[in-house]
Amino acid sequence: MEINTSIQIGPFEILYPFKPTASSIHHCGKLSLPGRLFVVEGIDGSGKSTQLSLLHKWLESKGYGVVFSEWNSSPLVKDTTKLGKKKKLLTPATFSLIHATDFADRTERSILPLLKAGAIVLCDRYAYTAFARDVARGMDREWVRDLYGFAVKPTAAFYFRVPLETAIGRLVDARDGFKYYEAGLDLGLSDDAEDSFRMFQGRIIEEYEKMIPEFGLTVINATLPVEAQQAQVRQIVQTHLENAQSLRIRP
Amino acid sequence: MRQTYGKLLPGMRLSDLSGKLIVIEGTDGAGRTTQIDLLKPWLEELGHAVLDTGMTRSRLAGEGIRRAKEGNNLGHVTQSLFYATDFIDRFENEIVPALRAGFIVLTDRYIYSLMARAIVRGMDPSWIRSIYRGALKPDAVFYLRLGIEQLLPRVVFSRGFDYWESGMDLYPGHDMYDSFCKYQAALLAEFDRLREEYNFETVDASADAESVCAQLKTRILGILESDQPPAVVSKPDEELIEALTKRVVGKLIPKQNGRGDHPDGQMEARISLAAQSLVGNGRGAH
Repeated sequence: MEINTSIQIGPFEILYPFKPTASSIHHCGKLSLPGRLFVVEGIDGSGKSTQLSLLHKWLESKGYGVVFSEWNSSPLVKDTTKLGKKKKLLTPATFSLIHATDFADRTERSILPLLKAGAIVLCDRYAYTAFARDVARGMDREWVRDLYGFAVKPTAAFYFRVPLETAIGRLVDARDGFKYYEAGLDLGLSDDAEDSFRMFQGRIIEEYEKMIPEFGLTVINATLPVEAQQAQVRQIVQTHLENAQSLRIRP
Repeated sequence: MRQTYGKLLPGMRLSDLSGKLIVIEGTDGAGRTTQIDLLKPWLEELGHAVLDTGMTRSRLAGEGIRRAKEGNNLGHVTQSLFYATDFIDRFENEIVPALRAGFIVLTDRYIYSLMARAIVRGMDPSWIRSIYRGALKPDAVFYLRLGIEQLLPRVVFSRGFDYWESGMDLYPGHDMYDSFCKYQAALLAEFDRLREEYNFETVDASADAESVCAQLKTRILGILESDQPPAVVSKPDEELIEALTKRVVGKLIPKQNGRGDHPDGQMEARISLAAQSLVGNGRGAH
């Protein structure tokens, strides 16, 4: 049919291979995306946001066009997510779907066009966060991966690996209390927020560990000094910037 | 036992969903809302509890979708997923609990409309199907079918062209009329494909509302009647009551030691009554 061939989800370089039945995805051709996409992943308190912000400053100082996109920040969707969290309306399935909707909006309106335009896009959390959290909430592993089939595959995805106790220590120092969904309190694992957080984040770590080989995540030891981690990240990012001179917005 | 199109959502139980799930599908202007407005009071008069539900009525996402549509900058993937969020919220929090409570659920559109809209917008058919695999298979899907030439005057002459009904997000730059025809024709073609795949019962929606409703009532009565236990079941029930009474009596009342009197005769009668109501309730729940 005319309409089906003219507008396709397919140009996306998909993150996870669809089952062979969805052959249209593979056959409609890949779009060339001259930009670069770097993402950071890890549990709360792993220090990934700090690392991404340092990377951002470094790339800007080198004259690249850099755009930052945060998890759960779509102007179109975030009010709905906020409502769901505040009123505790979310089930594992709707938690998963509303976050995928947010991610879709950012992909369609920002990430994908920016990559087409040749920008460097930095994402604090990416589809892997959903793969880890939603599965830890009991969603089917394959279902969540299918759901995010429209995602663009990152140039590199850094996983900041940290022992659970270290992360909890950092979080307890930094703020008061654990948030309801962040601690997995919706799952009824424990009435105590810290216990629940520990159990839930433990499950998330297990999922991340499985994803390292599945998606080729780059592991960074997040117990190292901040400077040492950043040096590793910059070194790896640098290798992906070769032959990307056209990205420079300043000479 | 009820079935879904695939793996269950977390926490979903398929047992005890004693209500009926009746879907009214069709394109814009096919008269779905009119029919539901006629069917609901009729079913209630017959003594059935009815839940009616439809797109964008969820507590979670209804308002968000309305706001997003006002801006006219809702992408196709985002749109498909926002509607999926709305659907699953209503599915888990309204439809399934109502079915468990024995309601007749009349739903204005179901996963099929959502699939058709997404596929017409270029989403991969297997991708959109995979999202809805936790949805229940309905007891019936009535597809109110209307050709494009009948649909156009119905929709446009009553309320004018609407941005979304005309698929303007798909064909920007076209005028509303051209876009409407192209979009609705594509939807119809997709519905016709889905009709085969999911065994819709097609109802010719070009007839007047009363005769369409009469057809729907006949078919719905068919579904409700097939649910009544046939009269022959009553005999095995008696046997079951007797057997249950014997077993419970054997456990609760100590042996009589041949003394002749039956001090616990009253208790036995009460156990028998309890067994009767137990079997009766069991039958009602099927």
